[in-house]
Amino acid sequence: MRIRDFFLSRRYSLPIFIVLFLLLALILMSLRAKQRKGVDFFDAFVMEVCSPFQKGATFMIKTVQGTFQQYVFLIGLEEENRRLKQKIAQLQEQNHQMKEMKLANERLRELLQFREKNSSSMIGAEVIARDPSSWFKSVTIDKGERDGVKKGMAVISSAGVIGQILKTASHYAIVLLLTDYNSAIDSIVQRTRAKAIVEGKGENRCQLKYLLRADEVAVGDIVVTAGLGGNFPKGLMIGEIKRVDKQGHGVFQYAELAPSVDLTKLEEVFVIVEPLLISPPQEERGKKGKRTKK
Amino acid sequence: MKRLVLPLFVGILFLVVQTTFLPFFPIHRVRPDLLLIFTLSLGFLFPPISGGILAFFMGYLMDLFSGNALGFYVLSRSLVFFAVHFSKERVYLEGFYSQFLFAFIFAIGEGIFILILMNALQPVTFVKLYPLFFTILLPQSFFTGLVTPFFFLLFKKGALLLFRQPEKGIKERG
Repeated sequence: MRIRDFFLSRRYSLPIFIVLFLLLALILMSLRAKQRKGVDFFDAFVMEVCSPFQKGATFMIKTVQGTFQQYVFLIGLEEENRRLKQKIAQLQEQNHQMKEMKLANERLRELLQFREKNSSSMIGAEVIARDPSSWFKSVTIDKGERDGVKKGMAVISSAGVIGQILKTASHYAIVLLLTDYNSAIDSIVQRTRAKAIVEGKGENRCQLKYLLRADEVAVGDIVVTAGLGGNFPKGLMIGEIKRVDKQGHGVFQYAELAPSVDLTKLEEVFVIVEPLLISPPQEERGKKGKRTKK
Repeated sequence: MKRLVLPLFVGILFLVVQTTFLPFFPIHRVRPDLLLIFTLSLGFLFPPISGGILAFFMGYLMDLFSGNALGFYVLSRSLVFFAVHFSKERVYLEGFYSQFLFAFIFAIGEGIFILILMNALQPVTFVKLYPLFFTILLPQSFFTGLVTPFFFLLFKKGALLLFRQPEKGIKERG
């Protein structure tokens, strides 16, 4: 039997199509795992087509919601509340930054002389959609490659870390939230400088992984970014430790973390397009010669 | 072409609703999976090839807009479509309870399938995942089942626009 006859035969065509569909799905999964460019291009194209609808729907919802909240329910109170919350978030962030700066100053005065060269540059973006599934945690933002957003870039808010860019299109991007199972961020416990990795736990919780059992951590300790990955500047607040578990065996202990940002109510975020650059100390720089960190 | 493009737009519309309107509800953890309901109804109303393409695309949309980096839904939605398509002659789906149960079972089944894939292909241990069965999967499947009869009715009426006699049309086309 010729191949053409085989495919057109009514007896075989349906099973062949089913097998092809399932095979195509597996191939697509494999291509995604390998992060092939062709898949990214098609993803970006479909995202560009669908996201304007999401943007429009979000705008509509916000308009309707805004009308109800500002004019129908409580005139002015909502706005004042929002302003105060924003102020508190800013002050908290400043407070954490100052604590971090104080600790850093004390440490560095004794050991090294670090100097900040550049400040991070950020772009503001609006959250236009949320993850369609309940298993994964992500949001869609209205800034993409045209605005300088690239895969892996850090996404933050005034209250702390939100996540990092997972996929990009020309005008839109998908942010993997820090609570997603696939998210991992280098971190340090602010008080004790214990190093760990913050991993998502699905719901509005994270956990500290690879935290040495010998390191002292307590409930209420603040966890900040370590700045090792290059995407996140050092010292950004990630969250607060809610539970420490030293039971069991092994080198590591377990700690549960509540993110500083309420990820279920995200509206505006910032994408860090240029991470904070920290120049190495004089002696170290001399050893490395002309090599510079970008 | 109309039979492929129109449902495609309906699918995109459902995605928009699922990603924008539904998360605004206070208990967004239990929001129903509208795209799954749409895929289930494709299994009833569409021929295997065009329906398969649509189900594949619905899975693709889910993967694209979720934090899922590998693309589990493209496989699971295609499987759901073919499972529904080949079981539709064997199930009675006229009342509320049967439709509710049908969607509930498929939602649970797909959830377990995703959990298995996550456990097998991603570095997420099953110990971390199994609590989600009770906190997310069960309530979400319940709500998906609850709204399914309404959407089935809607899709059945909508299918009249595409096929004059939906069931007959499907049988004729194989």
